[in-house]
Formats: sequence, C-alpha cells, structure tokens
Amino acid sequence: MTNWLEDPIRWIAEWLYSVLVGWGILPSVADVILMITGAAILSTLALLWVLFLIWFERKLIGRIQDRFGPNRVGPWGIFQSVADMIKIFTKEYITPQGADKVLYNLAPVLAVASVLLIWAVLPFTRSIMGVNLNVGVVYIVAVGGGGVLAILMAGYASNNKYAFLGASRAVAQLISYEVPMVISLLVPVLLAGSMGLNDIVQAQSVPYLVMAPVAALVFFITSMAETGRAPFDLVEAESELVAGYNTEYSGLKFGMFFVGEFLHSFTAALLFAVLFLGGWRGPFVDQVPLLGLVYLFIKTMVIYFLIILVRASVPRFRIDQMMDLNWKVLTPLSILSFLVTAVIAKVLEGQFLFQVLGLLAGNVILLVLFMEWGERRNKRNRRPMVSQPRPLATPASDETSMAQS
Amino acid sequence: MNPAPFELSMLLAILPEILLVVLAALVLLLNLGVRHRAEGVLGWLTAIGLAVIAVLSAVFARPGDTPQLIFGGMLRLDWVSFSFRLLFLLGAAITVLVSLEHARTITGEYLALLLVSTLGMSLMASSANLIMLYLAIETTSLPLYLLAGYYVENQKSVESGIKYMLYGAVTSAVMLYGFSLLFGLSGTANLAMIPFRLTQTGVSPLLVGGALFLTLVGFGFKVSAAPFHFWAPDVYEGAPTPIAGFLSTASKAAGFAVLVRVLLVTFPQLASFWTLVVAILAALSMIVGNLLALTQRNIKRLLAYSSIAQAGYILVGVAADSPLGVAGMVYYLTSYLVTNLAAFAIVWLVAQQVGSEDLDAFSGLGKRNPAIALAMLISLLSLGGIPPLSGFIGKVLVFAAAVEAGQVALAIIGVLTSVIGLYYYLTVMKILYRPAVDEAPLKPSLSWRTAMLICVVLMLALGVIVAPWYGQSLAAASALF
Amino acid sequence: MSAFQIVFLLIALLTLFSALMVVFARKTIHSAFWLILALFGVAATFATLAASFFVVIQVAVYIGAIAILIIFTVMLTRRSMEESGDQLLPGWGWAALVVLIVFGGLVFMLLQWQGIFQPPQVLTAGGENLENLGMALVMPDRYVIPFEVASVLLVAAMIGAIYVAGDHKKRS
Repeated sequence: MTNWLEDPIRWIAEWLYSVLVGWGILPSVADVILMITGAAILSTLALLWVLFLIWFERKLIGRIQDRFGPNRVGPWGIFQSVADMIKIFTKEYITPQGADKVLYNLAPVLAVASVLLIWAVLPFTRSIMGVNLNVGVVYIVAVGGGGVLAILMAGYASNNKYAFLGASRAVAQLISYEVPMVISLLVPVLLAGSMGLNDIVQAQSVPYLVMAPVAALVFFITSMAETGRAPFDLVEAESELVAGYNTEYSGLKFGMFFVGEFLHSFTAALLFAVLFLGGWRGPFVDQVPLLGLVYLFIKTMVIYFLIILVRASVPRFRIDQMMDLNWKVLTPLSILSFLVTAVIAKVLEGQFLFQVLGLLAGNVILLVLFMEWGERRNKRNRRPMVSQPRPLATPASDETSMAQS
Repeated sequence: MNPAPFELSMLLAILPEILLVVLAALVLLLNLGVRHRAEGVLGWLTAIGLAVIAVLSAVFARPGDTPQLIFGGMLRLDWVSFSFRLLFLLGAAITVLVSLEHARTITGEYLALLLVSTLGMSLMASSANLIMLYLAIETTSLPLYLLAGYYVENQKSVESGIKYMLYGAVTSAVMLYGFSLLFGLSGTANLAMIPFRLTQTGVSPLLVGGALFLTLVGFGFKVSAAPFHFWAPDVYEGAPTPIAGFLSTASKAAGFAVLVRVLLVTFPQLASFWTLVVAILAALSMIVGNLLALTQRNIKRLLAYSSIAQAGYILVGVAADSPLGVAGMVYYLTSYLVTNLAAFAIVWLVAQQVGSEDLDAFSGLGKRNPAIALAMLISLLSLGGIPPLSGFIGKVLVFAAAVEAGQVALAIIGVLTSVIGLYYYLTVMKILYRPAVDEAPLKPSLSWRTAMLICVVLMLALGVIVAPWYGQSLAAASALF
Repeated sequence: MSAFQIVFLLIALLTLFSALMVVFARKTIHSAFWLILALFGVAATFATLAASFFVVIQVAVYIGAIAILIIFTVMLTRRSMEESGDQLLPGWGWAALVVLIVFGGLVFMLLQWQGIFQPPQVLTAGGENLENLGMALVMPDRYVIPFEVASVLLVAAMIGAIYVAGDHKKRS
C-alpha cells in the first residue's frame, strides 16, 4: 500500500480497487471501472475549472480595460460563471433549417473531446497522469486534428455562409500553424530523447525555456493561434463574420464550444509548462510528490496570465498578416532553431553546463540575427504610403494655443 | 547471398543517383535567376550534366565480377542495373535536348521532375528489396504523372495527367497488395531471400502464384502491355510530346528491368506458370497493339499503339526465360529507346510547326526538310524491324530466344504481327513523301539536331555493329541467372 | 471467442461499414466524414496490435492532415458537393462481378495458408522500441536509402503540387 500522504490519488485508487475486488468483481473488470472513474473525474474537474477560468479572464480583462469586470454575483462576482452556466442550461436549442443534423450535433461534442483528450497524457505529478504514453507528443498533435474537424463540421453543418467562412478561415489557420508548432515540439523531444511527456519533464533539470528559448517562443505563439484566441481570433471576427463557425449554435451546444475554447487555451498553458518549464519539477518535490501539482499549477497560471495579457493588448491580425507571420517568420524560425539545437546539443554532448550555455547562446544569436534580417527585409519591402496621414480634429497643441493667447 | 556491410566505397556505387539529386537541386536553384535571361541554358546544363553522370557512372559505378548486395540488401550492384542506368541517362538526355525546342518545357520544375524520375528508374533497375522497389517505382511514376499533365491550361494534357495518375494509382495499389502478400508469406522483403523462405515454410504455390499475379498487374501497367494498356494512347496523346517519348521508352525500359528481376530472382520455382502468363500478355499486346494501330489517324496515338505492340515483342524475350531472351530484351529496349525517341522528336517538331498531330500534317515533309524525312524513315523502318537497322537485330534476338525456348507459336505470332506493323509504318512513310500545300522549310534548333544525330547514329550503329552492346546485354542477362 | 477477438471484430465491422458508406453516401462531404471513421478504425486496429506509435501517426497524418484537406477541398467546391445524381455507373454489374471474383480468389488463396489460422505473435516486453525504429531509418545497413529516396519523392511531389496550383496567368 502506498503512503496516502505521498501519493493520495494512487492510495485512493488502490483502496477502491480492493473494495471492488472485495465485492466479488473480476480484477480485470475492476481495472476498467477504475479507469473510467478516473477519466470521468478528471474531465469533470477540467470542465468545472473552466468556470473559474472564465471569471478570472473577465475580471482581468476588466481591470486592464479600466473596468470592474463581473462584480454582482457573490464576492468579487466569483459566482457569475455559475449563474451564466445555469442560464445557458435553460436556453432553447435551435437547429437551423437545412442543417446537417448529425454533424451539427456532433461538432460541439468533438470540440470539447479533442481538448479533454490532451489531458489524458499530461503528467500532473511524478505519478499522477492518465497514461504514460511513450509517444505523448505525437499524440497531442494527432488529437489536435479532432478540434479542426469539429470546426469544419460546425461550419459545414450550420448551412450558414458566415459559419462556413469562419470554418474555412479557422481550418486554414489551424493547419498552417500546426507546421511550426510541430517543429518547435521536436526541440524538447530532441533534448529529452523521448516523446513521452513525463520523460520530458524528468529530463528538465534545467527548464527547456533556458535551453531552447526560440522553440518556446514559437510554441507559445503557435499554441495561441491553435486555440484561436486574440490576436488570432479572426475565426470569429465579429465585425466580419458574426461569430464565425458557431454562429448558429445556441444553448448548451454553444456553451460547449465556449468551454472548449477556454479549456483549450488553459491546456495550451499547461502544455507549455510541461514542455518548457519543467512541469511538476521544483524544490522538495522528491520528498512530497504532491507538491508537483502545486508547482505545475503555478507555472501554468503564469503562462495563462501571459496569454490573457496578450489577448487584451494586441489587436487582431488581418488574414494576410496571419499567414505571413506563420509562413515567413515562424516556420523558418522554428526550422532554424531545430537545426541549431540539434547541432549544438550534439557538439557539446557530455558537458552539461557547456551544453546549456551553448544552447542558450546559440538560440539568442539565432533570434537576434533573424530579427535583424527581418528588419532589413521590412525596410527594403516597405510599401509606400498612399497618402500622408492627415490630422483630423486634433486638439489645438500647446504652441498654437500659446500663440493665440 | 548476404548483403555486404557498409563501406564508404559503396557510396561510389550510388554516385550517379547522388549526382542526379544534386543536378536536380542545382537546376531548381538556377531556375530562380537564370530562366528569364538565358533560355536554354538550363536545358543544356541538364543534358551535359546527364552526359557527365553517364561517363562517371561508367567509370566509377562499375559492378565487380560477382554481383554485390549493398546498403543492407536494398540495392544490387550488377550488370543489369549498370546497363539500364546508362540507358535511362541516355533517354533522359535526349528527352531534355528535344524539349529545348520549346521554351515552355524547359523550366526548372520540368527538368527537376524529369531528373527525379530518371533517378527513380535507375533505382528501379537496381533495387533488390520490395520496399526499395516500391519506392523506386513511385519515385519514377509521380514526376511522370505531373509531367504528363504539364500543360496545365491545356485540357488534353490535364486529362492525360489525371488518367495516367488514376491508372497508375490503382495498379500500384494492386501491386503493393501483391508485395504485402509476398512479405507476409515469406517474412522477408529481400527479393533473393523470398523463394528460399517460401520453400522453407512450405507455402502453397497457388498462393504464391496469386501474389505473383497481383504484382504482374503493376509491372504490366508500367510496360503498357495488353490488357493493361488502356491508358497509353490517351496519355501519349495529351502529354507534352517529349514526355510521351520518355514514357514510351525509358519508363517502359524501367518496367522491364523490374519485371525480369522479380520474375527471375523471386519466382524461379513458378517459372512454368509465369512464362505462360507472360507469353499470353505478349501475344495479346502484339495482336491488340498492331491491329488497333491500323485505324489511327493521330500520329501520337498511332505511336502509342505501336509502343504497345513493341512491348509485346519485348515480352517475348522475357517469356523465353533464358539468358538469350533477357539479352535480347536489353538489346531490343536499347534500340527501341533511340528509335522511338527519334520518332517522337520528329512528331514534336512537325506538330509545332503545323499545329496538328494528324497524319496528314506530315505530308510534304520530304520536301520541307529531306534530312528529317529521312530520319523519320529510318526510325519507322527500324520500328518495323527492317535490316540493317537496330530494330531488326532486337527482333531477331527475341524471336530466336522464343524458338530456342520452344515457344514457336509465340514467334510465329510475332512475325505475323510484325508484317501488320510494317503496313502502317509504310502508310506513314507514304504520307511523308506526298506533296502538300504548305512547303515552308523546317528549321530545327541545334539541340534538336544534336539529339536526332545521336539517335540516328545509334540506330545505325546498333544495327550494324552488334557485338559490343550485345556482349553488355549478355553480361546483364548472366547476372540474373 | 476471446474478448480480444470480439474487439477486433467490432473494429473491423466499423471500419468496413464506414468504408462502404464512403462509397455509398449520397453527398460527397458525407463520404469524406465516413472516410475519417474508416481511417479511425484502422488506427484502432493498430491499437489492438499494441503499436501506439502507428496509432498516433495514423491519426495525425491521415485524419489530422489528409482527411481534413479532403474535406476542405470538398467544401470549396460546393456545387459538385450538392450533386445527387445516380450513384451507379452503367457498367456496375460487370465491375461487381470482377470484384467478387477477385475477392473470392483472394479468400480462397489465403485459406490455403497455414499462417492465417495462427494467433498473432505477442510483442515482447517493450517490443515497440521507437529508438530502434529511428536508428534503422538512418543506418546505412538498414533503410537509409529508402528513407532518402522517400524524401526525394516527397520534394518532387511538392514541386509538382506548387507548379500545378501556381498562378499560370501570371507566369505566361
């Protein structure tokens, strides 16, 4: 029996298992029951967690925009999301005419499922995780395809041109940004020598943010684009597309898309923490494994905070800018960073300190050179201004007002 | 025979292939800058590069006295791969030179795809492993699909590309299914090991015969033997003419290289079965090709059916299952390569001038440019198998092999259908010297004339001086027996 | 029948049924979605063989990339998507006959083979070693030549795709 303090979840699982077997249930069936229970608890917790995330984001954005944010229901408006949730439960489901019913109803389920599936391989502590899959990184990429599919289904099945346009945009964006994302995912795999997420965490005696900052940067940007958050939310650009692919959805079906999106960006933050910030690693984690959960949570929240800050401060991209950024900046940058990392890690193999410093230096040099090159290219290709900006209704400046007086 | 462990010297054996990739990359890079300033430079560079590669491969990539399995048994360094590689390089070089006639077909993409396809053919001739073989076949086919549909704004060319791709995909899937059965039954992908494993585990010959049959579908498509020939006329008609020539010669030769290797090395126990199947294919191809060619009015379709018939003659050599048959096949393929490329080159030149590929477009060629008319005459006679041209020697060799192997009926069908063939070749010749309205002289470019000179000289040389290349063909044949 | 066999049969039925629906679905886009289910069935078959790498690769490549591109293309050609003509070609009877003969022949052939009645070999512990797979792909004595040739093939395909999709008005 494991010590309950050291590893409470395993302790509970073992206890439940013994209870079930005690009832006369076959051990193999008991295993399956435990797995299903675990999956159900994990996904329910994840979905409930979204309630907090929504409140957190609204509050934070309120502050950034000099507002209060939700402040009516409960202390600091913390139950606002609960109220919203109850309201959305009572709303009517509307299925538009000419909709493809099966696909229309399947899409929101798939949207949430594809995000939740990622949680199956995330290592929360040294031992708490759904599956220790030895191909975890590829699994994440594979599961991401489900999200794209859900958007396509929703856009097609709604029988609405705005939904359709939104879905087209979304898919173009998602499959484009998958390219640099996958390449930047290769860098931690290369450094850890494994595709299992827990192995990657265990290999990070120095977080990979230090050893591969360029890959981390690329991954951060692309995972934001993958989640479709601002500044990459041209999928649901209100001014152009009503609400994009989920225009026709109402009630809980809309709610599922909504929840899926929030959960996706939190999951992206979680992934970043696992891949580049050392996941559950931290001081004293060997003595008290449960501390790992706390460390992971703190790291994730920092990243999530950053994502919200970016969302609140950067305006939405135009579609050509979005494509330019991907194909002309992120993709070459990620390929270069992969090459640089591979070469330096191989050359300085064996001397750990030099390897870390060499990788850091190599990455920084790469980034500086790349930005310098981009700067020059921009200067060369700068489009001439059509007309000089005209000051419209500018308030009288100090000088003129002084001259008048 | 076990594969030899890797040594650096093995890289020399695949030097031609490496150089082909380098040349393709170079062409693509130069395409960025050179294309608009100096047309033709890229084409000449490619043609000269191919010639250099041919010389280098003749010097460095020579096989030793005994065939050698290299790179973990993926490739086999023997006289078959050596001879066929030279053949493909020659075919590609001539195709490039002919393509230079028109600026449209010498873009970097065109040349690079052609080079990759040549690389695939060269690997096809030397692969000794099912995986390698399949990849090589795909590397050959995929660029050719694209090249067949190269005139993207021309409906016929697009149709040709799509048709070729659909047929190719289906037959390659069937062939792959055959490969997977072979691999599953024997547990090895090494061509030479498969028969031993099959006898060891005692798999019934019926099952092996089924797998063989499935693989034959893929090869039959590559060599355009009846009844897998339906694509050929439509594809040749729509594809850019030099590509049609390349498809009908080099690509077909690659198919034959693979066919004999797989049949002789992997299925020696089933020889009685496959000689029968190949003989049937040969007879069908000869009859169907020649009879359908009689009714054609479009010169490219006519040449397509003629090429189906030629595939039948070459299959006669394969069906003999003897060194003489294989040697005859190699000889025939060589002569057919230069002959048919010449014919397609002339069609390309004339069709561009006249704007039609109808048989009547060729009337008056004897007046417009006697030299070209003579070249067309020579190549048609060679296709018909008239001495002292190279086609005659090829036919004699394969029919002799058939008689030697006791397949007299096949030889008789071959001779009879050759007579039919001669009839429609003569029809074309008659048109060449008929008076026509338009008698403006034809002025081909330097590159075109170079290519034609090479073809005609080789046609005559192979017809008169038999020994050197026949010796080479026999060496290739003995590597398989 | 063991539980393993039942699972396999279910997956096989699902795969075959979706494959049939790909052919018989009236709308092209439904065919595309059924195709995804069929591909997913193949991935599940890999899972029963304990080949997790191939499962995720199958899903990532075939569903995540190829199927999505197919759907995207179908959606962009909405006119042909709505087409609902006769599903059968005039000569379908002959085709069905040929297919039946080929299928019967294959089944008959495979029944001659002893190996088909043997249970699959169980992989040894840690049987799926990705490192070995990776090494085999770059070792000169194993598969480096096919690996490199495959990359040349893909580059050629990419050049061709860019050429075909390129703007031809601008070029000429």
